[in-house]
Order: sequence, then structure tokens, then C-alpha cells
Amino acid sequence: MDVKTLKSRVRDKERQKFFLTFLGGKMLGIGAAFVAITAFGPWLIGTAAHAVGAKPQAATIDDVVSASNTAWTLIAAFLVFFMQAGFMMLEAGFARTREVVNVLQECIVDTCLCALLFWAFGFAFMFGVGNGIIGHSFFFLNNAPATYTLTGATGVSFMAFFLFQFAFADTCSTITSGAMVGRTGFKGDLLYSVGVSGFIYPILGHWVWGPGGWLQTARNGVHLLDFAGSTVVHTMGGFIALAGAIVLGPRLGRKFKRDGGGLPPGHDMTVAAIGGVILWFGWYGFNPGSTLSAIDSAGIGRVATNTTLAAAAAGLTAMAWVYPRSKKWDIGITINGFLGGLVAITCPCYWVNTTGAIIIGAIAGPVVVLGIDFIEHMRIDDPIGAVAVHGIAGIWGTWSLGLFSTGQYGSPKGLLWGGGSTGAKFFFAQVWGNAAVGISAFGIAFLLMHLVKLTGTLRVSEEGELEGIDIHEHGAPAYHPEAAYMGKGI
Amino acid sequence: MLEMITAIIKPHKLDDVKDALLANGVEGMTVTEVRGFGRQRGKTENFRGSEYKIDFIPKVKLEIIVTSETADHLIGVIAEAAKTGKIGDGKVWKYSVDSLLRVRTGEMGTEAI
Repeated sequence: MDVKTLKSRVRDKERQKFFLTFLGGKMLGIGAAFVAITAFGPWLIGTAAHAVGAKPQAATIDDVVSASNTAWTLIAAFLVFFMQAGFMMLEAGFARTREVVNVLQECIVDTCLCALLFWAFGFAFMFGVGNGIIGHSFFFLNNAPATYTLTGATGVSFMAFFLFQFAFADTCSTITSGAMVGRTGFKGDLLYSVGVSGFIYPILGHWVWGPGGWLQTARNGVHLLDFAGSTVVHTMGGFIALAGAIVLGPRLGRKFKRDGGGLPPGHDMTVAAIGGVILWFGWYGFNPGSTLSAIDSAGIGRVATNTTLAAAAAGLTAMAWVYPRSKKWDIGITINGFLGGLVAITCPCYWVNTTGAIIIGAIAGPVVVLGIDFIEHMRIDDPIGAVAVHGIAGIWGTWSLGLFSTGQYGSPKGLLWGGGSTGAKFFFAQVWGNAAVGISAFGIAFLLMHLVKLTGTLRVSEEGELEGIDIHEHGAPAYHPEAAYMGKGI
Repeated sequence: MLEMITAIIKPHKLDDVKDALLANGVEGMTVTEVRGFGRQRGKTENFRGSEYKIDFIPKVKLEIIVTSETADHLIGVIAEAAKTGKIGDGKVWKYSVDSLLRVRTGEMGTEAI
């Protein structure tokens, strides 16, 4: 047995030499980084640093920032961030064993990328002052005021607002990866993620939520309302995912239902189910947090209750919808069902009552199932159901506000609840606004995915896919073999 | 006369081999997930930046019992379906089987196939 102790390794002359060279190299690198930071730092943080020195703002900041609203928004931001854990578990559980590491790595790296991109220019595009199409202030969060007031003032501190919006942007980019599981090359994933988190989501989001976005211009006295993002986050994410899945093509050997096959089963239902419930939990930040105000206590309570009821109704109706077909109580469909209910209630949650929420959720369940059937029929391989759950349920959710809005909380009365001609116009504005975002997202993403495909990095090689994308791209399976099968030296 | 064919193949080729055997009149088979190595001798994988070696690579072992007349033909069928031309495609072999009994009916020999 040739086992080297730590002591003998440290004494080894060759190893000492190697270690010193190695350390020297690292030090050089760190030195270079310091030089770079001092040289370029003022460009990145310069104006903000000057602002602090120029005028003492302490008194005015206390006047503007609301501690309770900021704390509430930050708690909500943390909850929305925790949805990443839910997405990772859901996607990993619904994936096959050979693609689990890839799914997890994509979600983590998308989050890291999105944070830096949203800081650098995503936030500026989305929430900066600009025109109807795009914003262009607050690049690198420069010149940030104490609170963000351009789209309504609740006294939330600027950075808390940024963090909350970053968590939303991250959600959108993660949805995309869900329909592209098992065959997307990691370099291709990095490239399209930059496009989705850095450009598509912020720019299209600006149209609906940014200051002066063109979809907020009233036509006939009404315009698109989207409280927490059925359109902005979910329809957009779902349709980017659809474009990705179409351009990629199905996983090798995937047979579709109409060809006598079906979706290959996910490998771990425990992980998938708990991931789904974590998403539901995170949604209590997503929807109620979108009030950006703890003082609007009636609003928070209403939104949270509506969110719960819609999810509950959708889980049951989705399960019931597939029961006659298979005579089985299907867990995968039930998870996708309640998620569809959550996606649907995301837009109308503030402006409907509990009856409306239950109806919206109850319809969302079958909508998700039919959506999954439709995607399968079109021979599009969507392992997680991202297109149906986010894209199609997102459409229904946005439309539903035009039907069930009570008119008590600042939105026009819905068509089905006696809204009359204003209700009809409002419903049309919802349909039109949603279509504008959905179609644009699909079109731009379709181009983006083709561009990435041109670089040859969008899809892994056939050999790599057959070997399993985990081992091919990441060098490791999710579930390592017994130590007995490994060689010496571990 | 009965013979047992045993094949060690790449896991992702199992579906092709199964379809080819079904198309050639084989009605049942047994497969086992196994690990092993031949001349290729293992491969390396990574964990947190360091490499480790997997000596025993995952394979699928497929077993069928057939009549002597069809055995050589079916070995050809398996070899053709399992072939990728790259290292690690596996092996197929056969040996004679003394007796075979179907538990449910008590049928013996070729009738029990």
C-alpha cells in the first residue's frame, strides 16, 4: 500500500516548490485584481461615493424611509429568493437521475448571474427613468435615492426594493431552464441566461411595471393591470421556455404520447413534492410582498388568503381532471396543478375577493393539464411542465382579472361581475397586454436561442447526452457510486 | 437443446437491444444493473475540484434462454443493436442450459421458453 501521510507530502521538495509557485501565482492574481479595482472602481461607484460626501442626508432619509414597509419588503424578498430552493427541488425531482446535477447547477449559476446583471443594468432597464420601451438610469445602482418612488411611493428603501425585484427577475430566468432540462449545453445556458436576465425580462418588464412603460398608457380609460406578475414573470418566463424547448428539440429517445410514448418519469417524487410546497410557501412573499407595504394590512391579508385559496382549488381540480383518464391520483399533476393556481392568482390577487380566487384557481387546474397535453401533442419536450404551468396558466391568470375584478380595490369592475362596457374594455386590455408581452418574449427568445445555437453551444453532443449530461458537462453524477467501485486514492 | 445468452452492454443501448430481440421473436428477458470493466479500465469523475477514478463502470447485463438453433442468430442481433463502435460496447456469450421449468404450468424444456 502506497499511502502518503500529510507529513511526508509537506516534506516532499517537489511539492514545496509546486506549492510556492502556486501561491505566488495566486498572490499575483489578487494583486492584479486590486489594481483593477482601484483603477476602475471610481467609474463603478464614483457618483454614489461623491453624493455621500457632498450632503448629509440623515434627517431627510428618516423622513422618507418607512421602517415597517422596508422590513416587510425585505422579508418578502427573502421568501421569493427561497423559491429558488423550491424550483431546484421541483426540477431535480422531475428530471431523470442523469440530469440532476445539471439542473441544480443551472439554477445556482442563473441566480449568481442574475444578481450581477440586475445590479449592473437589468434594474436600470426595468425601473430606470426612460421612455415607454426601456429605462436608463440607476446603472450599477448609481445615484440611488433613499427610496424608490417612480412607480408609487410606500417608503421602501431603495436597496430593499432592488433586492425584491432581483428575486423576481431570478424567478423568471429559472422558469426558462425548466423546459430545457437534460440537453442544454452549459455554455449555451450561460449565454441565453445573460440574454434573459439581463435584457428580455428587464426590458419587457419595464413595459408593465417600469416608470412610463407603454403598456401602462390607458386606452379607452383602461390599461393592463398585473399585481405580482402573471404576465411579467410567468407568461414571459413560460414563453421564453417554450422558445428554448422548440429550438433545442426533444431529448434523445424521447417518444411523445401520440407516437406511443410519454414523458419519462421524474426520478424523485419526495424532492419534487417538497419543492412544490416550498414554492407555494415562497409565493407568500411573491404576492403579498408586492404590496411593498406592511401598512396596507388589509391588502396583505386579502392577497395571502386569495393566494392560498386559488392554489388549493387548482390542486384539487387538476387532480380530479386526470382521475377519469388514468383512474389514479397523480402526484405530478397535482403539484403542477396547484402551481398553476398560484401562477394564475398572481396577477389578480389584490383586486378579487375569495370567491373569485377560488373560481380562478379551480379553472387554472384543468388549464394546466390541458396545457401539458397540448405541449405534448405538439411534440415539444418540457420535462418540468414550465410552459403549461407558467406560460399558459399565466395567460389565464391575467385574463381572469378582467372577469372577476370586484372594483372595490382600485381596478375597474370585471366583466362577469357586472362591469358592463368598462369591464369589457378592461378584459380586452388584459388580453391585449398579456399577448403583447407573451408574443414579444417568445419572438425575442426564439431569436436569442437561435443565436446561441449558431455558436454551437446550445445543445450538448449526442455522445454527451447519451452518457448523461451530468457526467458529460459536470464530471459527476448526482448520486455517486459506492466507494467500493472507485479506484484507490480517495 | 436450450442455451443461455448473456450480454453485457451499455445502459443506453438497452432499449435498442430489447426492441431488436422482440422483433426477432424473443418473448422475455432478464436484465440486471451491473458494474465492471474490460480493457478500457474505468474512467475519472470529479467532485469539488478533485478527480476520482471509477474502476467499475455501470453496465447492463441481459440474459435470455433460447433454443440452440436460434442462439447464434440472436447473438448477432444483440451485437448489431448494441454496437456504437466505441470502447466499452460490451460482450455477448452463450452456454448450454441443462433444464428449464416454467413454475406456473410445470412445462419443461423448450416448451417453457
